[in-house]
Amino acid sequence: MPPDRALPEAVRAERRAYALFFGALLLVVALCTWGVAFNPFELFGKGDAFWTFLSEDFWPPRIPQREGRLEAILAGIGVTFAMAVASATVAAVLAFLVALFASERVSPFPRLAPLVRGAATFVRNIPALVWAFILFSSLGIGTGVGFVALTLSSLAFLVRAFAETMEDLSQDGLESLLAIGATFPQRVAHGILPSCLGGFVSWYLYSLEVNIRASAVVGMVGGGGIGLVLFSYIKAFNYHVAFFIILLIAALVIAVDWMTGRLRKELAL
Amino acid sequence: MTSAAPAPRIDRFGRIRVAPERRNRAVPVFLVCAALAAVASLVYLDLPWAKLASRAPDLGDVFWKLGHLDFARWELILSATRETVCVAVLSTFYGMLLGLFFGMLAAENVLRVPFLAPIVKACFTFLRAVPTPVWVLLMMVCVGMGPAAGIAGLCVHTTAFFTRAFAQSFEDIPGETLEALEATGVGRVGVFLNAVLPSALARVVAWVGMRLEINVAECAILGMVGAGGVGFVIANGIQNYEYGTAGVAILLVFALAYATERLFVCLKRRLR
Amino acid sequence: MQPILSFRNVSKRYANGAHALEDITLDIRPGEFVSVIGPSGSGKSTLLRLVNRLIPATSGHVILDGRDMARLRGADLRAQRRKVGMVFQNYNLVHRLSVFQNALHGRLGHLGGLRGLLGLYAEADKRRAFDLLVSLGLGAFCYARAGELSGGQKQRVGIARAIMQDPKILLCDEPIASLDPASAKTIMETLRDETRRRNLACVVNLHQLDVARAYSTRIVGLRQGRLVFDGAPDALDAAALARIYGPGHVPAAAPEEAAHAS
Repeated sequence: MPPDRALPEAVRAERRAYALFFGALLLVVALCTWGVAFNPFELFGKGDAFWTFLSEDFWPPRIPQREGRLEAILAGIGVTFAMAVASATVAAVLAFLVALFASERVSPFPRLAPLVRGAATFVRNIPALVWAFILFSSLGIGTGVGFVALTLSSLAFLVRAFAETMEDLSQDGLESLLAIGATFPQRVAHGILPSCLGGFVSWYLYSLEVNIRASAVVGMVGGGGIGLVLFSYIKAFNYHVAFFIILLIAALVIAVDWMTGRLRKELAL
Repeated sequence: MTSAAPAPRIDRFGRIRVAPERRNRAVPVFLVCAALAAVASLVYLDLPWAKLASRAPDLGDVFWKLGHLDFARWELILSATRETVCVAVLSTFYGMLLGLFFGMLAAENVLRVPFLAPIVKACFTFLRAVPTPVWVLLMMVCVGMGPAAGIAGLCVHTTAFFTRAFAQSFEDIPGETLEALEATGVGRVGVFLNAVLPSALARVVAWVGMRLEINVAECAILGMVGAGGVGFVIANGIQNYEYGTAGVAILLVFALAYATERLFVCLKRRLR
Repeated sequence: MQPILSFRNVSKRYANGAHALEDITLDIRPGEFVSVIGPSGSGKSTLLRLVNRLIPATSGHVILDGRDMARLRGADLRAQRRKVGMVFQNYNLVHRLSVFQNALHGRLGHLGGLRGLLGLYAEADKRRAFDLLVSLGLGAFCYARAGELSGGQKQRVGIARAIMQDPKILLCDEPIASLDPASAKTIMETLRDETRRRNLACVVNLHQLDVARAYSTRIVGLRQGRLVFDGAPDALDAAALARIYGPGHVPAAAPEEAAHAS
């Protein structure tokens, strides 16, 4: 390795940046360890209890025998999947319409664009589960509210993703369509859609993956679906069945990830 | 150029065709399928639209109440937020350390022990597929309430995330770089520490930033399934009709998530 | 002859206070081929975009075909923009669409409502676009995606799109800046021929002095947003060049371009 002084300024600046980053990281970690009085070795000390819990209370997974229980679990998986697909798709359609007004270069009302983006940023940075709680307190619990909460947070996420896709891809084509005297809907149909559709679909698939996980979680606090079923089994200390449900959720998530991966390849995105 | 005058193609409706020759029909087909799937899902869910619509005015009411910020219990909120931040940072940090180790095992090009990489990858694919709150719930059963359960629970998912991300980054490093170093007689772990890790450092930093953002958000929601932190304050506030307190906590969560996002946008720009 | 385009004391100041253009007064008549030259940042690009109000003027009047652009809104503005064909440095094609579709975009402004949204062009327009593309040497590429073409071919599609508008004036913003000398020559000849054949006015922003001299009927020089030269190519002597580019900064002529031009 050559001595430091032989290195160009750019490399040294990069090293300084890394040193700064990792130094700051260690400092913050130390502060946080002190802040919550966390001792990682204590956790290792509990390793035995953890292992006993896993091997005795959890293993093996058990399919519930009583009439109707298994059907309820499978229906829960179905609801979770349906909730994810429906919310991602509805959010994508709405997000496309909203995103058109979120970018100064595309929107027919450029002055409103920062407002739209700001609203999306606000909604996006509040987790889906918090939205679910706010909605539950006014709309009551149930699948419907879970659906609305998921749609809301994926909508905000997709607005940003779609707006960035539009800003990246279609600047040149859009200016020429403006110069031609095309109307706003024409600019969208002939400029934005052909050049950005691939990007939109890619983001839609991503939000589908996210929503599968999120809909299981939203279910746990009252959104219905498999999350609620799992939560009730954990509360009842029925860990063998809970483990079976966890395996089912994992299978669903892996299956959806595999499917979206295949679709990305098939669609040549 | 052929001598005959070129003619445009005619489509099956007898009109001149304008679309490109090699059309990608997969995307429109997919869009139609996705729309059908969404409609089918909505039908299956059979959502109570009328009930939702009739209660929609209550939503305005809740927002109105949330907007009346109540700072009376700010000490509780602040300490809960501090706990949330600490749990997020610590879980990301330990997840990163574990992720670097398991990433080394999971990368095909580092240790090259037969079957090791695929097995490690399969394990972590499973761990990643289970949502974080489930892990936290289980950890709470194991080690009791408190930040330790949160850190351990978040760590599982974070480690799984990092393992895949880092292994991918390591595998993207060209083979010649590694061969050159190995030729000098350095062991495989030595190659990893001296060549693989430094080359992947920029990617590692980017992944850590991305995951910290996720963990801050995740952490904020953990309280809602029963772990502590600011999520607990929000859930509790809403359930006990202390909307003002919940409003402050929600704003704090937003500020936290937004600040993390901005911080790493700036950092990424500097490291590029 | 009545001017097709008039600038009357036009100024443009950007939000950051920088003067892009100051007090420009200029008349352009049909049949003229006007080259606008000047150093980078002299306001050439802004001048062109003022014509179809892609950038609005701060003060003064831009009068296109007898109408003041500043007063127009909505449908009237779009109707005025249809009269202006624009050719861009980066071609500004929609890469995923076919060459044919890109050329037909010139007709979009003439289509209303649902037909415009769905791109249902008239058969006569399609026929005309096809013949035009063939005459520009793009017959074999009509059904290729625009993104697959070379730079010179893309620029010819850009010209076809502008001509499909049936414009009264062509604006070309550095049309050959990203092209190799041979393609640049084809593009400039195409622009000159089409301008003559259709009796259009053509305004071209150029960096290459010799190209400007070879093709223009008139040259306009800008420096720091001010009009410092306006005359026939012959009148562009050393003194005029020094006024435009500043003493000692006159760009050297590229030898092969000079050879092509002569």
